[in-house]
Amino acid sequence: MRKLRQLWTLAALTAAETLRQPVCLLLTMSCVVLTILVPLTTAHNFGEEGRLARDSGLAFHLMFGLFLGGYAACAALTRERESGTAAAVLSKPVDRSVFFAAKFLGITGVVLVFSTSATLATLLAQRVALKYASDTGHLLDGLTAGLAMGSPVIACGVGAWANFRHRRAFQSTAMATLPLLLAVVAVGCGCFTRAGGWAPYHPQLQWQIVPASLLVAMGLAMLGAIALTLAVRLSLVPTVSTCFVILLLGLASDYVFGQSAGHAPLANLLYALTPNWQHFWVADAIAGGGVVSGTYMLRCALYAFLYTSGILCLGIVAFQHAEVS
Amino acid sequence: MSDPVICTTALTKVFKDFWGRTRVPALTALDLKVHPGEVFGLLGPNGSGKSTTMKLLLGLLRPTKGRVSIMGRSPQHTATRNRIGYLPEEAQLYQYLTATETLHFYGRLFGLNRTDIESRTSQLIDMVGLTHAAQRPVGEFSRGMARRIGLAQALINDPDLLILDEPTAGLDPVGCRQIKDLLGALAKRGKTVVLSSHLLADVQDVCDRITLLHNGRSIAAGTLDGLLKHSEKLQFTVETHTPEQVEAIKIAIRECCGEDPSVDVPTIALETFFVNAIANATGAADTPPSGVSQKTALAPFLGEP
Ligand SMILES: Nc1ncnc2c1ncn2[C@@H]1O[C@H](COP(=O)(O)OP(=O)(O)OP(=O)(O)O)[C@@H](O)[C@H]1O
Ligand SMILES: [Mg+2]
Repeated sequence: MRKLRQLWTLAALTAAETLRQPVCLLLTMSCVVLTILVPLTTAHNFGEEGRLARDSGLAFHLMFGLFLGGYAACAALTRERESGTAAAVLSKPVDRSVFFAAKFLGITGVVLVFSTSATLATLLAQRVALKYASDTGHLLDGLTAGLAMGSPVIACGVGAWANFRHRRAFQSTAMATLPLLLAVVAVGCGCFTRAGGWAPYHPQLQWQIVPASLLVAMGLAMLGAIALTLAVRLSLVPTVSTCFVILLLGLASDYVFGQSAGHAPLANLLYALTPNWQHFWVADAIAGGGVVSGTYMLRCALYAFLYTSGILCLGIVAFQHAEVS
Repeated sequence: MSDPVICTTALTKVFKDFWGRTRVPALTALDLKVHPGEVFGLLGPNGSGKSTTMKLLLGLLRPTKGRVSIMGRSPQHTATRNRIGYLPEEAQLYQYLTATETLHFYGRLFGLNRTDIESRTSQLIDMVGLTHAAQRPVGEFSRGMARRIGLAQALINDPDLLILDEPTAGLDPVGCRQIKDLLGALAKRGKTVVLSSHLLADVQDVCDRITLLHNGRSIAAGTLDGLLKHSEKLQFTVETHTPEQVEAIKIAIRECCGEDPSVDVPTIALETFFVNAIANATGAADTPPSGVSQKTALAPFLGEP
């Protein structure tokens, strides 16, 4: 009971401290803006209306998320160790395992906030993208695009206002407001046709993007765990660089190890150990109206859960023996 | 004698680099015993291993060799730390939390209930004189103010053992005096205190026993009285005197002891002067304070039996 309370207290503090990092806001805003910008600037569709918008939205979600998760994870641990707050907390009756787990929960919370924004942005971008209808011809959904692009601006405005009136941190308010505004736009745009007129409620959003984004978020949580575990021994820059290498390895693992897996035991082992991000990338599967099945989602969730737990256990063991000063 | 609160045998710490190679031998074969109710001082020049010793006591660092037991347990034992308060060398606080939030946070880590947290927080903030700054983020605090919050955070669990790394560093003389009074009061209640300091006058005022470290080795240890008493010399003090009387006393001493005594007027310690002057000025002030303002000497919950 007491451990749970400690876990919660520490996780909430980690999330709050991470949300205050300007980098987090910058990455989130860039991800959202770029996602919505793609359908506005490119007319090409890859054979399916809105596919480019959707694919690049998911790709931005993954790439920016990896940077955000990796950075947040090692900043959360490294910064605390360097500033000595970790020592101050661990001189209290706090188990090191609780401290470590709380760090993970805290950054996962932040990644979740980011992922929500990125998912909503991708949904909106897909709706904005150029589509053909017999009555309107090729048409961009300008109104939705405007509202979606306005959201980051308004979120910053709200952040500034909260800072002025209530001395709240600008970054965290803006971070928290952004997904709310995007959600309002996503719900609200259902009242309009793509040409901008009133119409009976019809959101015209491609809901298959949601499970695809959820899978990406699972991959991000996995990378957060890896980064956190690395940060036990390494400082910020080596951690981020190593994460990047692991990321590339994981992206290419099917080519590098997958082909020889089955024959060479070493390749088998490496193939099993490297995180396989391809499981979390279903953009190609949903192209042309494919669906992500519930069983697939469950299997991926199980994989992410097991992998994350394993990595976290390693991290906890390493952290038990680490020196904190 | 009762069991020691802290007991180290041949405690050695060597800092290693990433590859496990020796970098700095910070502490060599230290034997310490601190008994309940004692105020124990760790002295030594910069880099002599005082902070390292404290971190070893708290289990933040692992000993390379030797043993540490704290309240009869290993320093890794989490529950023992319920009874310990620690003030780190640097004020290590979360920059964005306000003073109140900081104390609430630590109170929650100790599993205190809400009413306890609230009342202890306000008492401690009052005690360290930061009532008017309670809602400001500690990142904005001056060094001494942060130090005071650090001290409050170390006391929130009403600890039986206080480990204070340079508690008076960065504090104004009034704050120093207050800390010394606080330590005295806590020791009287049977609490044990281990502190390090470079301000020898402070150490002399509060410590019962000291260990002097140099390059990670203990070079002197014992009670202050034992270490400092100059057994040959004597000192007389009188309140009222005339020049004739002084002359007569000098002659008498010369006749008895065969040497001329030295005569001088004692000055009050600068600290006493400062504390009194500030006390007078605080009584007369009509502007609200921007720094610290002293009120209670000891938070009431710390005085409960
Ligand atoms: N994390 C660390 N890594 C490597 N060396 C360290 C570390 N911490 C301390 N040292 C070294 O250990 C020695 C003792 O340091 P320590 O901090 O205990 O000194 P100190 O007595 O507290 O000094 P000060 O009076 O300056 O606070 C120093 O030589 C220091 O450089
Ligand atoms: Mg020190």
